[in-house]
Amino acid sequence: MNGDKLKIALYWGAACGGCDVAVLDTDEFVLELAAEADILFWPIAVDGKYEDIRALPDGALDATLFSGAVRNAENEDVAHLLREKSQVLIALGSCSAFGGIPGLANAVTREEILERVYLDNPSIELGNRTVPRTRVPVNGTELELPAFYPRVWRLSDVVDVDYLVPGCPPAPERVQEVLAALVSGTLPPRGAVVGAAEKALCEECRRRKADKRVARFVRPWEIVPDPESCLLEQGLPCAGPATRGGCGARCPDINQACRGCYGPPPGVQDQGATLVGAWASVIEAKTVEEAETAFAGLPDVLGIAHRFTLPASLLQRSCR
Amino acid sequence: MSRPPLPRIGVFVCNCGTNIARTVDCEEIACAAMEWPGVVVARAYKYMCSDPGQEMIAEEVREKRLDRVVVAACSPRMHEPTFRRALASSGLNPYLLEMANIREQCSWVHDDPRAATDKALALARAAVARVVRHEPLEKRFVPMNPATLVLGGGIAGMTAALQLADAGQPVTIVERADRLGGNVARIDLTAPHLDSARELLLGRLARVSMHPMISVLLRAELEQLEGYQGNFTADVAVEGASRRLEIGSVVVCTGYKEFDAARVEGLGYGRLPDVITSFELELMLKRGRIEMADGRTPRTVALVHCVGSRSEEYHGYCSRVCCMTALKYGHEVKSALPGAAVVDLYIDMHAFGKGCEDFYRKTAEIKTLFLMYGKNAPPVIRPAGPKDDCNLLITLDEKLSGEEIEVPADLVVLMVGMEPREDAGRVAQLVNISRDKDGWFIESHPKLDPVATTTDGIYIAGACQSPKDIPDSVAQARAAAARILAKVAKGKIEVDAIFAEVDAARCSGCRICGTMCPYGAIEYDEEQKSSRVVEASCKACGCCAAACPSLAVRARHFTDEQIFAQIEGVL
Repeated sequence: MNGDKLKIALYWGAACGGCDVAVLDTDEFVLELAAEADILFWPIAVDGKYEDIRALPDGALDATLFSGAVRNAENEDVAHLLREKSQVLIALGSCSAFGGIPGLANAVTREEILERVYLDNPSIELGNRTVPRTRVPVNGTELELPAFYPRVWRLSDVVDVDYLVPGCPPAPERVQEVLAALVSGTLPPRGAVVGAAEKALCEECRRRKADKRVARFVRPWEIVPDPESCLLEQGLPCAGPATRGGCGARCPDINQACRGCYGPPPGVQDQGATLVGAWASVIEAKTVEEAETAFAGLPDVLGIAHRFTLPASLLQRSCR
Repeated sequence: MSRPPLPRIGVFVCNCGTNIARTVDCEEIACAAMEWPGVVVARAYKYMCSDPGQEMIAEEVREKRLDRVVVAACSPRMHEPTFRRALASSGLNPYLLEMANIREQCSWVHDDPRAATDKALALARAAVARVVRHEPLEKRFVPMNPATLVLGGGIAGMTAALQLADAGQPVTIVERADRLGGNVARIDLTAPHLDSARELLLGRLARVSMHPMISVLLRAELEQLEGYQGNFTADVAVEGASRRLEIGSVVVCTGYKEFDAARVEGLGYGRLPDVITSFELELMLKRGRIEMADGRTPRTVALVHCVGSRSEEYHGYCSRVCCMTALKYGHEVKSALPGAAVVDLYIDMHAFGKGCEDFYRKTAEIKTLFLMYGKNAPPVIRPAGPKDDCNLLITLDEKLSGEEIEVPADLVVLMVGMEPREDAGRVAQLVNISRDKDGWFIESHPKLDPVATTTDGIYIAGACQSPKDIPDSVAQARAAAARILAKVAKGKIEVDAIFAEVDAARCSGCRICGTMCPYGAIEYDEEQKSSRVVEASCKACGCCAAACPSLAVRARHFTDEQIFAQIEGVL
């Protein structure tokens, strides 16, 4: 990097905006960041157009933080654009890193989504059969919408990504660490997961752990969890054992089971499958009936186990 | 994951006489293998496991400087140790061997030579792909504490203790009751030789109590057992106080309890005072007088077999000792009350033990009346009426005559079967052994390893393993002692080189592995907040490695890389 200020961009694909808020939640650090770097593009906070980015020479941006998954053609086009213009591309947050919550849409097909949202929905006006299309003729001209893809992709499925920052959203302290490392040029070698721990969440969870024997899984409203002991041992489907640490165990600290937002621990390919394996391991059931009773408290195994990583899993998507 | 330097692999294909070569073209496999990456020699031979076969492998290892060997032959359960020795004899670490099972998984189960050869090729290719990832492994040793804890001071426990102590090794007997002797102390004579049970016990009791190497804890119970084979720590509660023992082995000899005859309604036990159990008769015999509740002498004594045993409702198994015990009662009744009649109601007469068939014949000679009833149709006993010249009436469907008959009796003895003690489940949990569907402790192998258990260092002997008579209990006790003495003689425990290990840098301390381990081989370090495999207890089953959500547990010799390489080799 030359002596000039850093040039960075932030973008959101299929995302809720929470990752951008996490950046803002670094509080006054954002101002320090702005002092160290020119933020050329950040739809949620800074004025800037695609045209401005296109006008830049390739590699002109020192880094881009891309939050959100790739759901449509616009997400993908901008991903390619920012990849070309950025020396470092960081997938910020679990949607970008693993597909995230939007990735759960891979449990159904595009047709099912359009049917449900635009045609078979109680709030649709009777007789209205309007479904978004890529090209629509209006008053003699043609409007173009970004194509809605058959499935959700991770950022790394469409472009090369240098770093992953997991979390939904990433903890602001972790975001700050990553940004500080970016500014100071102390990021680890490319390909690393940054802003996260190298062990599973249980490591940083303050609860007391014992050997686990779970008679049945419970829904969160069914029990008031004991604040001291392991939530999984109490029957809550805690994702901690198969989730990368780094958040500081914020959910277990407030009596909530880990939802798994930091994705799989190092080396684990499929967080959801690993979680199902872990949960099945602790079930006490000796018969099929007992196992069914035990798992009755997990009505949506796919949605709970793969909550943040379905597009990154071995399953990837529904193929009906 | 860096690729290892190019290996030098030898592939040895066994014809197994015609066992393999009949269906699989072994020469073709050897030829094809020469083309696979890293293979520098591939040969087929008629019997790889023979001395010349092993010598061929060793020679090639030395001459061609092989650093990996694949033997395509039978199941590794059959000859893996053989070929590992062959590698070791040529100076190669024995774990640099991989076997492809082209016999049980191939030639024996397929007819089509082409398809079988193709499958054998795939298996051999997988073995070659896997062996590249093998690592040299070394066996380890842990010390063996020579002291033994014997749980239960019955005939089995005392026998095991004496044998160990006579060999100079320290033993502690933990007995819950306030005296030694167990159930044998409750009986008078033994079948089939009518020797005195008291005589059997007295000598042993004296020796146990005098023996300098045996300490006996009465009114004592095991509370906790920690550690592993050769290195256990036991906490024993003795009359309220807790005592800690350092021991190397445990022999569980907790015995049995008798079936509660009151559960079989129709027999009237508990309601009819002259319906008694076999143990109650033993007490009468020991006191020297067989009598009815009102003090009269019975004229007819009926013996009902299989009370609680061999029934769908109670226990499906045979309690093994009751038939001979009933015959023994026939003799004892006849000798005490020569004028009395003995009626023996049985389902099948099980007289399988040494000398037992002779005993059966002799009992028939003393004019016992044998009546046969059907399984799941126990006789029904009711009080006799004033006109009947007897105390009780027994109704049964007599199978030999095919008729429903009524038998008069003054005293009925119920041959109550054996069942696991109420606390057998707790004992099993304490020492980490398993129980079968009936609640008896499970041995390591029903035929080949009858006194060891799936937990190394824990042995079972006597009726806690299943119903058995005194000779069998004693034989098991002696066998268990011999097993322990063999380990004590070695002085150390060899730990197989294949075990699971936890990478502390990855372990988050979630403790899922501890739940999965069937052998209690995983310890949790409260300070480090991580789990640890006790190598000496690990049986390399791989449950922990498969369950670990952090990939922190690695099963040596069955690593993910090795297994994935093997899968890719097949494909």
